[in-house]
Amino acid sequence: MSAGYIDELHEAFHSDLVYRPEDIPLDCSPKPKDLEQTLHGVMKLNGLVIRSLEEIAGRGANAVTYRAGKKFGHEVAKYFQKREDVEGALHELSDLLRGQYSFEVWKPEDKETFIIEENGETFIYLVFHDCIVRQTLRRNGLDQGGPLCQTLFGYVVGAIEEITGRKAKLEIVHTGPNACLKKLILK
Amino acid sequence: MEIHVDKDACVGCGLCVKDCPMHVYELQDNVSVAVRPNNCMGCLSCHEICPAQALEHRGIYAARRHYIDIKVCEMLRKVI
Repeated sequence: MSAGYIDELHEAFHSDLVYRPEDIPLDCSPKPKDLEQTLHGVMKLNGLVIRSLEEIAGRGANAVTYRAGKKFGHEVAKYFQKREDVEGALHELSDLLRGQYSFEVWKPEDKETFIIEENGETFIYLVFHDCIVRQTLRRNGLDQGGPLCQTLFGYVVGAIEEITGRKAKLEIVHTGPNACLKKLILK
Repeated sequence: MEIHVDKDACVGCGLCVKDCPMHVYELQDNVSVAVRPNNCMGCLSCHEICPAQALEHRGIYAARRHYIDIKVCEMLRKVI
């Protein structure tokens, strides 16, 4: 390694900035455009963690990631307003997921209401449009519907349970490159 | 939602019919026809599976695409 390169490195990491403990940054730095490479690095890393977990734990990987997501959902949602109505809860949920996931309530054309009752089950179809999990999986060439999707499942279930105080379950109906259809079952 | 199937390009393989969870497509005279476009939730699995790229959706929400490889894009920009 040449001395020139070492000097260059020192130069890159040196500044005249005075930093005090009370200086709390109010913005994320650097600018979002410069974070693109960081985002790709995080997506790559997440993909590798999930792939390794699947290799080691097999089908148990789903349980681990679901549990992690559910805990996260409960943790985040406990600061949100408690709602008994499902519509209100979904509104709270969409605020909670903003920037990471976006979803809409959906129904097939032959159904009259969004809350569907069928075979003794009450459920709502959710179409997830923007999803960081899908982006990560596609970045890494991994299948959709695996352990990383389970984190989102857990997250939504945990948050809904925390907001409504009711038990919930989420099922994958279909995964696609632009949107995924999920069934939120209310108990 | 408007779904347009290019009848000249469609090879009638029926993959979109099989893949769509909402049964939006049907094969009629060996060509795929979007018979229930209002049932489409815009997952675009059919775009990915169609070997002839014969499908077109209008009025769809395009999800954010973070996964596009920056280095590949840089190389493509140089070529195109």
